[in-house]
Amino acid sequence: MQLNHAQRELTVKVVYYGPGLSGKTTNLQLIHARTQTEGRGKLLTVETHDDRTLFFDLLPVFFQTKGGYTVKVKLFTVPGQVIHNATRRVVLQNADAVAFIADSRRSANQDNNAYWANLHENMRENGLDAAQVPIVIQFNKRDLPDTKTEEELQETRTRGREPVIGAVAIRGEGVLETLFAVIQLAYRKMDEQAGLARNLGLSEAGFLAQVFDRIDTSGTQVAGWLEQLQKEEP
Amino acid sequence: MSAEAPPRPPESVLQRRLALSDLLDLQTFGELAKGFAELYKVGVKVFDEKGNRLADIKVGNGDFCGYVFSFAEGRRCCTATVARVKEGPVGPVQNARAPQVPPGLPLRGMVTVPCFTGLRYLVLPILWEGDTLGRVVFGPFTPEEMGDLPPSLTDLTPGIDIALAQGHLAKIRRAPEQTVAKVMLHFAQLLEALVAAGQKTYLTSQVHIEATLESNRDLEAQNRKLEALNIRLKEMDRLKSSFLATVSHELRTPLTSIIGYSEMLSEGLVGPLNPEQTDYVRTIMDKGDTLLKLISSILDISQIEAGKVRLTFDGVLVSDVVTSALSSIKPQAQKKGLMVDTKLPPRAVEARADREKLRQVVVNLLSNAVKFTPKGGWVQVVLTDLQPQLELGGASGYRIVVQDSGVGIPADQQDKVFQSFYQVDNSSTREFGGAGLGLAIVKSYVEGHSGVVRVTSEVGRGSRFEVVLPAKPPAPGSVIPPPASDGGAQVQDRF
Repeated sequence: MQLNHAQRELTVKVVYYGPGLSGKTTNLQLIHARTQTEGRGKLLTVETHDDRTLFFDLLPVFFQTKGGYTVKVKLFTVPGQVIHNATRRVVLQNADAVAFIADSRRSANQDNNAYWANLHENMRENGLDAAQVPIVIQFNKRDLPDTKTEEELQETRTRGREPVIGAVAIRGEGVLETLFAVIQLAYRKMDEQAGLARNLGLSEAGFLAQVFDRIDTSGTQVAGWLEQLQKEEP
Repeated sequence: MSAEAPPRPPESVLQRRLALSDLLDLQTFGELAKGFAELYKVGVKVFDEKGNRLADIKVGNGDFCGYVFSFAEGRRCCTATVARVKEGPVGPVQNARAPQVPPGLPLRGMVTVPCFTGLRYLVLPILWEGDTLGRVVFGPFTPEEMGDLPPSLTDLTPGIDIALAQGHLAKIRRAPEQTVAKVMLHFAQLLEALVAAGQKTYLTSQVHIEATLESNRDLEAQNRKLEALNIRLKEMDRLKSSFLATVSHELRTPLTSIIGYSEMLSEGLVGPLNPEQTDYVRTIMDKGDTLLKLISSILDISQIEAGKVRLTFDGVLVSDVVTSALSSIKPQAQKKGLMVDTKLPPRAVEARADREKLRQVVVNLLSNAVKFTPKGGWVQVVLTDLQPQLELGGASGYRIVVQDSGVGIPADQQDKVFQSFYQVDNSSTREFGGAGLGLAIVKSYVEGHSGVVRVTSEVGRGSRFEVVLPAKPPAPGSVIPPPASDGGAQVQDRF
């Protein structure tokens, strides 16, 4: 988190991490497509000829608070290929939250585990405390054969504290839900550190509502979650 | 690893707020602005968020503005207007207003700033990802509807030559405000495309550099680990040699007593023994001898490896050395029923050498030959006369050849037999005993004499070891260098 009171600016960094071809870029492309132009920047993507992310993708989503702060949520993806570990580490620096995009197929289990370990190793190398950086797990490609069952996902849930969300990113399923969950956790962490509610007048419901204000949430659970959140807030 | 790694640069480019000058290729951008200004005959200025000028193309207003500037009040008002345009807020405040354009045109925050001369400026913020990176200024231009010079100019500049001023004014582009606004929006679109391309190039190249530095950091950390490991290995190796030397010495001392007392027993110094007892005591002596030789070899090789061996060269009759070595292996050869053939030159061969070490070279080669030759085979030792030797660069020298009809050495292992502890057959069930040190010692001693040893062999047919030694090895030649661990030639410091 970069909070600059002089420039009245809050920058949040969310990194989409995971094995190659697990759908990180697809997530960002969908968010890009669903967000109004005024609320986002261009999706910066550097791809190789085989459509794989060479360095990283960057999609900024931003809004102005009532108090006059510019809030920028910068969504990054890391390159999935094994050889690009150094780039992954650079992109991961100072992340406020991580969306770990896993491939739901059973055959991908080993890869998922390897990149999970790689994520933690790179966090350590970057001086990030893995226990302090919120992570959301997205099980993507739920539509493919050999995919894990709902019971197996449930088992993954019970094995750790990270929220687990099923998705078919290519059809837009679960993408905004993942974004919601990861930004919600990022907000809580930042609020704990910098008192966003107290100092900036930014409540959790208010923050999330503004992030999703210019994003088309139709057909997703996000609208309902937002409503629920607003009701619960004192 | 991270504790040893060098500190990384404090912040990635991805965390930094980028300035307009990072994102634009200023030369290309300058040309674009110039082309625009010339095509539409209107001045174009571009400033970054700190007020630095990135482009400034004036078209047609020089004479008019210069003339107005020559009046004291004109100068003051002109400076104020320029400051307003360049640094004032880009919003409909402080004398600025929204441009007069048809409804529906996306203005992107554009404002009109009128000049006291009746001219006008349009100012447009450069927005990027929610940030204002700078501003574009178009103008001054003459609004299409402008008639006479306004009182705001003429009242402030008494004595102004209206006709002259009008003449200068005619050189400034006259256009409807909405036309200039549309041109400006078009310019903004191009600028945005350039910034997008520039951002992509800038970020990817910077991240690539950062990633390369990151990989480099990893490699450096690994290198340091390997270096530390290497130092430790060398130290362990030295300790091993030192340990072997100590242990060999400690083993030899009691063994000498065992052999000595057995000798006294067998010679009947403490009373006669019956034949069976004599036989047992001889066996103790024999095995003691074998053990002593083995320990001596270990001591020798450990001293060589520790770099502690000194050679002392003397005038030596090589023929005598060969004969003496031969006599020491004869008993074993006879026991196995081997034929031992010796070929010595008619004249005695005299050379400078370390007698004991040379003898050991021949003994080691001969005992190998005896050991690896099955019953009924033959062993031959040949000593040649002194003559120029090709292997020694033409220097005078002699050859000692030890040949046998033994088991032979497979071609792919002939290089390795000179390594310490190397055994062609290293299984626990192997037929031939020994510690695998004999040939390593031979090689070290021969090289200590500046000589060469090599082997030719055929499996099942026998082996032939050939030692070529100089008649006069280079003078000090005293310390045998320990075998180089990396096998590479060491280059000494040159400066």
